[in-house]
Amino acid sequence: MGLKKRSVNMLARVANNLFWMGRYIERSEHIARYLNVNYFSSLDAPHELSQSRQFMLRSTLFMIGDPVNDTDQVLDEEKVLFNTALNQEKDYSIISNIKSARENANSARDLISTGLYEAINRFYHYVLNYDTNFFVKKGLYDFTVHVTEQTAVLRGKIRGSLLHDQVYAIIMLGINIERATQIIRIINAKYHDALLATGSYGDQVAHSFEWTTLLKCIESYDMMRRFYRKTPTSLSTLEFLILNGDCPRSVMNSLNQIYRHMSVLDKAKRPAKDSTSFLVGKLRAEIEFTKVESIECNVQEFIQQILEKLVEISQKMEKEFFNY
Amino acid sequence: MHEKKDPIIFSSYEPREGLFDEVFEDNGSVKSIYKTLFDLYGGHSVNDYENLNNKAKASFFNQGITFQVYDNEQTQEKIFPFDLFPRIIHPLEWEIIEKGAIQRSRALNLFLWDIYHDKKIIKDKVVPLDLLSSSEHYLHQMMHLDPPGKIYNHISGTDLIKHSDGEYYVLEDNIRCPSGVSYVICNRTALKRALFGVFNHYQAHSVTNYAGNLLQILETVIPRGVDNPNCVVISPGRFNSAYYEHSYLAKAMGVELVEGQDLFVENDFVYMKTINGPERVDIIYRRIDDAFIDPLEFRPDSALGVPGLFAAYKKGNVCLANAPGTGVADDKAVYTYMPEIIKYYLDEAPILNNVHTYRCSRPDELKYVLENIDKLVIKPVDEAGGYGISIGNQLTKSEIEKVKATIKEHPRKYIAQPILSLSVHPTYIEEEGSFEQRHVDLRTFTLLGKDKDFVLKGGLTRVALRKGNLIVNSSQGGGSKDTWVLKNEA
Repeated sequence: MGLKKRSVNMLARVANNLFWMGRYIERSEHIARYLNVNYFSSLDAPHELSQSRQFMLRSTLFMIGDPVNDTDQVLDEEKVLFNTALNQEKDYSIISNIKSARENANSARDLISTGLYEAINRFYHYVLNYDTNFFVKKGLYDFTVHVTEQTAVLRGKIRGSLLHDQVYAIIMLGINIERATQIIRIINAKYHDALLATGSYGDQVAHSFEWTTLLKCIESYDMMRRFYRKTPTSLSTLEFLILNGDCPRSVMNSLNQIYRHMSVLDKAKRPAKDSTSFLVGKLRAEIEFTKVESIECNVQEFIQQILEKLVEISQKMEKEFFNY
Repeated sequence: MHEKKDPIIFSSYEPREGLFDEVFEDNGSVKSIYKTLFDLYGGHSVNDYENLNNKAKASFFNQGITFQVYDNEQTQEKIFPFDLFPRIIHPLEWEIIEKGAIQRSRALNLFLWDIYHDKKIIKDKVVPLDLLSSSEHYLHQMMHLDPPGKIYNHISGTDLIKHSDGEYYVLEDNIRCPSGVSYVICNRTALKRALFGVFNHYQAHSVTNYAGNLLQILETVIPRGVDNPNCVVISPGRFNSAYYEHSYLAKAMGVELVEGQDLFVENDFVYMKTINGPERVDIIYRRIDDAFIDPLEFRPDSALGVPGLFAAYKKGNVCLANAPGTGVADDKAVYTYMPEIIKYYLDEAPILNNVHTYRCSRPDELKYVLENIDKLVIKPVDEAGGYGISIGNQLTKSEIEKVKATIKEHPRKYIAQPILSLSVHPTYIEEEGSFEQRHVDLRTFTLLGKDKDFVLKGGLTRVALRKGNLIVNSSQGGGSKDTWVLKNEA
């Protein structure tokens, strides 16, 4: 390697931290956008239920993993907004995610670029200093848009200022595993909403207004319109978000990236049967050769399976690479 | 530039008599080296300056240069106070400091080799035996052990002050794990971000070459048989108050930052646990105190260290910087013998002044100390961070009696020095919205390797922020200033 002194593999502990840094950055983006899109689309949604603030708040809590099962319970809007975004006591809140991303970056700050670290730090201080009262009354749009934009800045710094080596691969694995996971969670939540809020356009789940919201939650609405040149239906939405490898926010695209970054860590051409590479390759092939018609009648079962396999991949990674 | 209502920042600066002001002459005029700077700063109104000050603070937050304080069960992040008005050191003045720092560093290294081998200096009765035997930091495990390149104190921090006579004096040598160098670098970064224009008028030496030199120095002390060494920095982890510095140094050197849990020892070789299995480690810049580096050899309850590390070191399979056991030489009792130590090993006169020190372990000096406490500073010999210091003229009668009793109980534990008047430097005091005189010192950083040495041209100017306070340590509420060593006379 000419001038290079010696290549040193990264520490397993640090790899674990960077993997989770990637996951937390990605997670905070999806929560922020989900909150933003659902709140603002509910303001003038065509369907009575979709327009109800209670419905929207429940959907948000469902998506972030704090579902309200009691159908009679009336939720306090400001409290739910606070919990989702700025309550440090809630592990799922945006602030907790950014804090965790920063803590993980902290323990690996010798490996990442100064530019990336400062961007994470600035982001953290922005969120930390955001006025709670302003947020719940006026700042919802400003705050959530800023969060999603900052995550884009971070991804830009990751891609544009780090060496594209193991460190980069580990972070990108974290980002993409989290992205696939969040896409599935969001599909699950909006599918759930669509079942409840049937009848937006012609009393059909297949034509629910919620599909449009779903696409917007994953920042894929415009591109979906461009691709199909049609109003979204359940089928086209699921096909686009799960199976279309060209959609950067699809499960397929995330798996392709996971597969690619995995090969930086595991250079074996034929990965061993019990390796992470093997699991990734298998899931990727399964999705690649799935047709949307075959999942149409059992969507929930299908996405549940993908979710379980993603968890399995993450756990396998932990055993194979982060064992210290 | 400013409105009438908004006063300029130096308008209420009041020089006190008897203090050596680094910027102003006794007659109130600005010293020539500071003239341009004073003109550039002096034009600012308080509001302007407050703005700049806030920008500098934001720079520290964004750089993540913070420490945690636990207050009312809540953790808060704070930055170390930073003053935007830099300290300037004249190139000729610096030359002396630099030569003197290297001299001390070399002498201390030879002293350490000697006391861990033949102990000639004791046999020749230059220093008394009990100086070592009674030191907590003396490690019998280091006896007859040859560290790679015969270097013990690869990194030294020398604390200097300027007395009212205008001369520099060394207050102490720090050769265990001296910290603070990262603040030198980030102070410069923050000042550049806030007031880049001032650098057009002064040519200050860069401070960013420290890490590169540190790596070069560390690579002069490679264990036998290693061509391409793997150097790491070991830190107690991210909850340590100096974690920023540890990560900065690792990053700037391009080496891994490890914790004890990342390393293990097998067959007396040290390895780190990577995603692709073990990888050998050859040089460790350790930022963990002696007592914690290896639970098998030192404190058994240490979770920060690496079991078996000392055995690997003893075999010569890994280099530790600084070497274990250096603490014996930076103790304040040894300090008092520095002129003799320099003379003994180098046959040179000390370049930097030592503060005259009374050793309470000697009956005649003890007697003087007990009779003159009000004129002296009493220091415990083995405490770092400014703890346990009593300043005689600030004590009440009953406090003096208490101090006397403590000294009498353990005379070896204390030394006394005349109350030195640290020089003062104009420092912006936020609460007052103006500049005031504050005491400052200077920590320099010296690197020593096999046939190579380096002194960082700059250093950490620490400021005692409380009015009249002489203790500048950050643990005692001190701040710092960017420090410029000029390339040529301004």
